[in-house]
Amino acid sequence: MSAAARPMRGRAGTPDARAGVLGVIRPRTRWREFWLLVLVGITLTIGSVSLNATVVAADAEQGAALPAGALAPYRGGLLLVYLGALLAAHLAQVLAGRRSDQVLLPAVGMLGGISLLLMSRLPQDLAGQFGGLARTQLIWLLIAVALTAVVAVVVRSDRWLRLYKYTWAAAGVGLLLLTFVAGREVNGQRLTLDIGPLSGQPSELLKVILVVFLAGYLSENRALLVEQSTRVGPIRLPPLPYLAPMAAMWAIALGVVVVQRDLGAALLFFAVFLVLLYIATARWSYVVIGLVLFLAGSWLMYNLFGHVKDRVDIWIDPFADPRVAGYQIVQALYAFGRGGILGTGLGNGLPVVAGRLPIPLIHADFPLAALGEELGLIGILAILGLYLVVIERGLRIAASAADDFRALLAAGLSLVVGVQAFIIAAGNLKLVPLTGITLPFVSYGGSSLVANAIVVGLLLALSDRGVEPPPPPQRTAGRFRRLIDRGAA
Amino acid sequence: MGRSVRIGRGQRRPIGESVTRVGVALSLAFGALAASAGYWQVVESAPLTASADNPAVVAAARSVVRGPIEDRSGVWLASSRRDGTGDPYRVYRDPVMSPVIGYASRQYGTAGLERALDAELVGLRRPDPVSDMLKKFEAEPADPQALQLTISLELQRAAVRALGDRRGAVVILQPRTGDVLALASNPVYDANGLAKPETAEDVFRRLREDPAEPLLPRATQGRYVPGSVFKIVTALAALDSGAVRPDTVFPGQREAERDGLVVSGFRIREHGGVPVQDLELAPATEVSSNIYYAMAGLAAGAEALVAVAERLGFNAPLPFVLPTAPSQVTNGGGPLPGGFKDDVELANAAYGQAETLATPLQMALVAATVANDGVLMEPRLVASMTGRDGTRTNQPREWRRVVSEETAAAVKAAMREAVEGELGRRFTTGADIPGVETAGKSGTAELGGRGEPHSWFIGFAPVDDPQVAIAVLVERGGRGAEAAAPIGGRMMEAALAELAGG
Repeated sequence: MSAAARPMRGRAGTPDARAGVLGVIRPRTRWREFWLLVLVGITLTIGSVSLNATVVAADAEQGAALPAGALAPYRGGLLLVYLGALLAAHLAQVLAGRRSDQVLLPAVGMLGGISLLLMSRLPQDLAGQFGGLARTQLIWLLIAVALTAVVAVVVRSDRWLRLYKYTWAAAGVGLLLLTFVAGREVNGQRLTLDIGPLSGQPSELLKVILVVFLAGYLSENRALLVEQSTRVGPIRLPPLPYLAPMAAMWAIALGVVVVQRDLGAALLFFAVFLVLLYIATARWSYVVIGLVLFLAGSWLMYNLFGHVKDRVDIWIDPFADPRVAGYQIVQALYAFGRGGILGTGLGNGLPVVAGRLPIPLIHADFPLAALGEELGLIGILAILGLYLVVIERGLRIAASAADDFRALLAAGLSLVVGVQAFIIAAGNLKLVPLTGITLPFVSYGGSSLVANAIVVGLLLALSDRGVEPPPPPQRTAGRFRRLIDRGAA
Repeated sequence: MGRSVRIGRGQRRPIGESVTRVGVALSLAFGALAASAGYWQVVESAPLTASADNPAVVAAARSVVRGPIEDRSGVWLASSRRDGTGDPYRVYRDPVMSPVIGYASRQYGTAGLERALDAELVGLRRPDPVSDMLKKFEAEPADPQALQLTISLELQRAAVRALGDRRGAVVILQPRTGDVLALASNPVYDANGLAKPETAEDVFRRLREDPAEPLLPRATQGRYVPGSVFKIVTALAALDSGAVRPDTVFPGQREAERDGLVVSGFRIREHGGVPVQDLELAPATEVSSNIYYAMAGLAAGAEALVAVAERLGFNAPLPFVLPTAPSQVTNGGGPLPGGFKDDVELANAAYGQAETLATPLQMALVAATVANDGVLMEPRLVASMTGRDGTRTNQPREWRRVVSEETAAAVKAAMREAVEGELGRRFTTGADIPGVETAGKSGTAELGGRGEPHSWFIGFAPVDDPQVAIAVLVERGGRGAEAAAPIGGRMMEAALAELAGG
């Protein structure tokens, strides 16, 4: 427990405590974030100029005259707007006097910028309701940056997350059921929910809600989960009643696979749940039981459901049917292969045959393959590195959090990003069966960007050393713990 | 709650410790991602990029002027022209090269070398890895490679002429280097018809419906019952395993020659023309005794026979630039080692019947191995590639030692007897090159009573310093001595003259 929390104890929740938090707003410079953002801006501008040069050269080869200002950054306007938004998010935190993490925003900002370059480079009629792929993606990116800044600046207390965890859980389950019932099938997966003019993929939002609930539940029951056990002969098992949530989680994941045909989300939910359980308890037995459940579930799914079996069979040998079943993944591997170590250069890859791109759904499912071709292995390593930076910052925030809830919440939020990036990247690289989840911050699509923006915003808020201290522990186990903490102090 | 709740300080670990562990685990997971990206982008990059299905190759093939192809003395075999709209198309010099070079058609894709080295010919891949990696910095990254082959157009033409109107294949190798001097298959086709967009559709349909299967490159992808030429494989296995020596005579051999050899209740009979007497390895090879080789195969055992055959290249595609059909000793699945059903199949396989199948290229490699004192060279078809940044030569490469020098010498002597010996002449009529000591073995592959047998010959010359090795197959050609052996002799003579002249 941090010593700073002590004097506030007992006063949290009283009017004057709240006034104290909102009262002092003094601008505070964030030079590290600023210079990192400058670096991001320079890098992205170079990328944009390179892309433009490639496009101009290709046009010239086709016989078109060089346009005026031929070396202007390709779709430079879009990039400029985006960089402006990042700067605004930076300034908002400066003005609000935040003492939050200064690396997260540049790291995810870079990923978002790479996404914008990629979307500018793909054929604009691929998707997008607001005048093309890049424009639509830019609009979602702006919304995401704004959301990140708003969450980072406005959230000064975690009580609304902490106290209503079962409400959040109910909302999540409700959202899931709504998708089960009213979801629209797109590409064979029932993931999309239409509400009026808006459509989105609830599983993206669901992952955030899941983490909030798990952080609340696990921090409250941590002591019991750690210290109790049921003895069956010589084997020490975790307390059985507390295994119920694990069973529920498992059932939900299976339901997601069966009803929504969304292997990726199911894998993500279950993995994040297991890892959070391990973080809370440090007990390997939970992980082992979870893995056994996972293997049993996988075996069941593989034998019962055709779409799961197809995915796995394609994964094992995509080259068995490279023109139909294995087409996507084989084309993705070709793209990685064409890229080699240095890549073909932005705008120079993805050969078009008979007017068609080699990989369908490249903007949603295979951005990593496209980037692997055009930026090469060094580009892929850089992108993987950026995700590792995000994960490291997130886990660092978790490790230095003021209490269990915040620690678990921060760890869970970083895991959601890290595990999701891993699952889809590994799918692109034929390390695991391919699933249809998005590459955080890079894939085309609003739901994903918005959900991940909330994640980053919350991480920023949690990292703020000036945020309201956590409420004092209240339950029995908590009282014991406080005694121990006193003793330790 | 009934159970005790024990809360002690020692048991409550700080959360930071497990967070660190999770961080390490995730870093390892991302390390695995980086490793697999490295695998696809570095290790597998070249084969993926060169795949004929790769859209980059397909796209380039439509616009790029492919590199030319020449024979060993610089005679052009394939080049390119532009049609009225400026799009390039391929021109081929001689139909006899069709089984090697194949075709590049705008409508029907590619075959042969045009397919196997598609990426190099359109310039997407360079043989030099460093230059290949840095090509993105050049103004014109495509660098079509010109190929020089080891094949002699003259020999290839002579081989097709020798086959005449019969279907079959002729493969001529240089045993010391593995260089392919001829890789002929008959019938041939005119690839120009496929390369020209206006005629491609008609020509392709006609070729595909032709019962003579001109699109099948018989030398590399035709699999035939080898008959007696397979005895050379059995001889190598039996000698190398130590089960048989050059002077071995099997007990009961004479009776078996007369009455047939009973294996597991099944009687194997000799073909006509073998004298009823005890024969050692060389005379048994000379008269092509099925009984002797059945006994030699049984003595060597299934394991040794399949092991030597596999060292020679059986049971797997050959390390060759063109795709090859795998040759087999048995179709496998049997309980005996190597997949034989029973001893009867083993005994029959030992003299080249049963389920044994071989490509002409494979049998040429067998002859070349004996000629090269037991060392098998990788067959080499492309001598060099030339691009903007110079010429890169493919050096001859040793594949492996198959048998000991002594074994090879004993088989060499037996093969010499089979051509030069008193009795051998009757079985390999016409294989002998005038003035040059020649070694060889003919084969007559029975096809279960349905029509004429396949006619085979494998051999090499000169015996004391082999310069050429050959395999000749004539489909339904009758006895080996009648069809294949004379072609073998004539072609080896032509090849020796070509090598001496060049």
